[in-house]
Amino acid sequence: MNFEAVIGIEIHVEMKTKSKMFSSAPVLFGAEPNTLVRPLDIAFPGTMPLVNKQAVINAIRVSNALHMSIDNELWFDRKNYFYSDLPKGFQITQDKRPIGRDGYVEIKTKNGIKRIEIERLHMEEDTCKQLHMSNYSLLDYNRAGTPLVEIVSRPNIRSGEEAMKYVEQIKSIVQFTDVSDGKMEEGSLRCDVNISLRPIGSEKFGTKVEIKNLNSLSNVEKAIEFEIIRQQKLLLAGMPVEQETRRFDEMRKETVLMRKKTDAVDYKYFTEPNITPIKLSDEFIKNAIETCPELASSKRNRYINDLNLSEYDADILLQDKAVSEYFDETIKYNANPKLLVNWIMVDIASYLNKNNYSISDLKLSPEHLSDLVKLISEGKISSKQAKDVFLDIVETNASPIDVANKLGIVQMSDENAIMDLVIEALNENPQAIEDFKNGKDRAVGFLVGQIMKKSRGKANPAMTSKLVIQELKKR
Amino acid sequence: MSYLDLTIKEMHEALVNKKVTPLELTKEAIARAKSDNNNAFETILEDEALAIAKELKEPEVDNLFWGIPIGIKDNFSTKGILTTGSSEILKDYVPVFNATVVEKLLKAHAIPIAKTTLDELAMGGTGTTGHKGMTFNPYDEKHELLVGGSSCGSAAMVANSIAPFALGSDTGDSVRKPASYAGLVGFKPTWGRISRFGLFPFAPSLDHVGFFTRSVEDSAIALSLLAGRDLNDATSSIKPVEDYASNINDSIKGKRIAVIKEVIDSLNDEQIKKAFLASIEALEKQGAIIDYVSFSLKLLEAIYPTYMVISCAEATSNNANLDGVKFGPRYEGNTYQEVMIKARTNGFSELIRRRFIIGSFALMRENQNDLFLRAQKARRLIVNRVNEILSNHDIIYVPAAPTTAPKINASSDRLSDNYLIADNILVLGNFAGLPSITLPIALINNMPLGGNLMGRAFEEKLVFNVAKALENEMGLYNLSARKVK
Repeated sequence: MNFEAVIGIEIHVEMKTKSKMFSSAPVLFGAEPNTLVRPLDIAFPGTMPLVNKQAVINAIRVSNALHMSIDNELWFDRKNYFYSDLPKGFQITQDKRPIGRDGYVEIKTKNGIKRIEIERLHMEEDTCKQLHMSNYSLLDYNRAGTPLVEIVSRPNIRSGEEAMKYVEQIKSIVQFTDVSDGKMEEGSLRCDVNISLRPIGSEKFGTKVEIKNLNSLSNVEKAIEFEIIRQQKLLLAGMPVEQETRRFDEMRKETVLMRKKTDAVDYKYFTEPNITPIKLSDEFIKNAIETCPELASSKRNRYINDLNLSEYDADILLQDKAVSEYFDETIKYNANPKLLVNWIMVDIASYLNKNNYSISDLKLSPEHLSDLVKLISEGKISSKQAKDVFLDIVETNASPIDVANKLGIVQMSDENAIMDLVIEALNENPQAIEDFKNGKDRAVGFLVGQIMKKSRGKANPAMTSKLVIQELKKR
Repeated sequence: MSYLDLTIKEMHEALVNKKVTPLELTKEAIARAKSDNNNAFETILEDEALAIAKELKEPEVDNLFWGIPIGIKDNFSTKGILTTGSSEILKDYVPVFNATVVEKLLKAHAIPIAKTTLDELAMGGTGTTGHKGMTFNPYDEKHELLVGGSSCGSAAMVANSIAPFALGSDTGDSVRKPASYAGLVGFKPTWGRISRFGLFPFAPSLDHVGFFTRSVEDSAIALSLLAGRDLNDATSSIKPVEDYASNINDSIKGKRIAVIKEVIDSLNDEQIKKAFLASIEALEKQGAIIDYVSFSLKLLEAIYPTYMVISCAEATSNNANLDGVKFGPRYEGNTYQEVMIKARTNGFSELIRRRFIIGSFALMRENQNDLFLRAQKARRLIVNRVNEILSNHDIIYVPAAPTTAPKINASSDRLSDNYLIADNILVLGNFAGLPSITLPIALINNMPLGGNLMGRAFEEKLVFNVAKALENEMGLYNLSARKVK
């Protein structure tokens, strides 16, 4: 029997707003435990939630990027349950009326473009962080109340590859809209996968298993691939798939049981009485969307259609938002786009890599990088010489022309000046002219070498060679 | 006669004219509080009050709360001062911030004399369920009669002239009902008119900050101080604050007042009925037009179950933070569930636990449609009817209670077959979030009875205006147990 996988994904994205979802405590990573806390975050009696406007703007931007319809009224609900990481004994979320509904993203797979439907996007608050020690637990309330958006796909993902591409897309969207760091390894983008199998052609869903703790894109793919095979084996052996929560064990490269799911928990949702519904004006929504930083998909179009970059180059630049932003800044100074991409993706990338820097650590300004690229495309220095200049300016952000001058490597590209040297060299080497006429091409190389010597290496080699041949033919 | 027996307005005049000082008032208030035997206080703030009073030298003519002794119900957060909610689970809780209303009173240089007792976590209407035991009615030296709740301590304090003002909270009728039993003016404004920040939540969609005074004008003066937008309470209104006492003496000629027929019909105590009808005549005498309207018996009978379902559902969620991890005495356990179960079992009385279970039950997935959502629909229907009546009337007038203060043990939180419409009628003001005031209209066998006026949203001025006219006509101004006894 052939099976088809039915996969739905819930993604939690931590927003990088200045303050928390409902309190004025700052949102920062890596602060001392329990220092970013206001009374609301520990649920002091009598404290009340205040909705973070930037979080709403962010949610609108992501909803829009996911082609969702955006609710013009904000409603919040309480999700009630007891847990040691939950300060209030309930989480404020959006149950009945999520801010975004019915959207999609398109992903590129081996089999072409596929549209993944998204059911809902809602805002909520994070819980506090627990550290379980041998016989006690520690609670850090810094994370409590951090704004989250949760994005819930419909179950129309069919493979590990599709799932991975889907998460990658969401990650790119939340990063390019400046909503989140979107770092899976740091937990600022967390995804839970629901997966079940059913015979191809069947409309009925099988028993679903939830996979948690997927901390990288490749683990999303691997975990699903493993889980499909595991469930398939069970079904083929006539054994039931149990409803359970599993996690991906990176070392063993397999999913392992966390807990059996009994009846789903009853969260006893009801409307949050301390936040009256908030009307979002058309203008507010429109403004949130119009001021949204440019999405990767839009940049990609611009790179390919306006700058004539290849799809490959465009995708490489867009893998990292900061890199694409550096490129955008540099291209403003009108350097050759293709050449610029090469410099960014080869020389700068390896420099950053070697020093363990990120692009934000780079001293070299976009303007000076552009100047360097222009020196090459205008033929003033060779690519090889440019590398010497680069080694200097990448550390100092000095002007590339100054450095080239200092190193004495600005090319002589003035045709008349080179022609003078050509004539001089030819006059001094009649034998070479003879050789050329006898068909010995290496005479050209010899002559170019002579001219290089005379110009102390500054003559543009291509131009010199051209002029030497031109002059030889005349003799 | 002591200056402490005066109303806020009179006391203010005495302070401005330097007939008495804040320190003298404070010392007497502390002395009276200490000798009070009604169990009105969680904490008497002797040192704190004296320290504030000593600093107050030059009276502020335009600030009527300057140097005035006040009481604060112990479910308002007070920075650095024990705030228990009269519950075992918060018996050691010292907040790190002041409730907005407390902050406003302190800024006005009012002098908090005490934190007052309440029914545990403000749930209950008897004044008997706080962790320190029953609170008694100062009108009854034999301690057989209820003062009512949940704002029992604040009611007892003001009725016994220990202060002319005390904060209360009102989720069902927790200020306006005890006001009736204790001969006081008890008021709550439109929902959102006063910030609830720092008030321990019972059921936020019904919760209101309210207060007790001994005159209608004092009540209007207090609202002028306490009302207003608060950035810490997103539900607080942005409507500008008014001077609520400014038109208080206007004539009420031609004002249309609706009296609910079913409520009068339900009164089975003839003395009460007579007193209430007399107060209606008083309003007519002042020029008001009285209409007897039918509300709908079915809707009136739905008030109590609707209230129980909604308030318990919200309460179970609001108090879920009191779990022994952050708040409450710490009990050891092998799992977090064990820690929480121990803390909550020991920390709440049986009555509170029962309410939590009712609330949880109503919210369960399989019950939500039949209970919680149905209650919300019932609330909507009831509110629609109230607004319908108020669309062609200025005020709805009802007796604030079907009896004078009942005997302790005669009343219970448990559901009974004896359903009394007039006992639950004040909840209309919480369902609809409308301004509502109770004021004394009669003394029956030396025990007070209140009438209650409810107006349209944000029409507090009109409510005070009509209440003042009624007060003038009934002559029960500045009533206190000290005077009546």
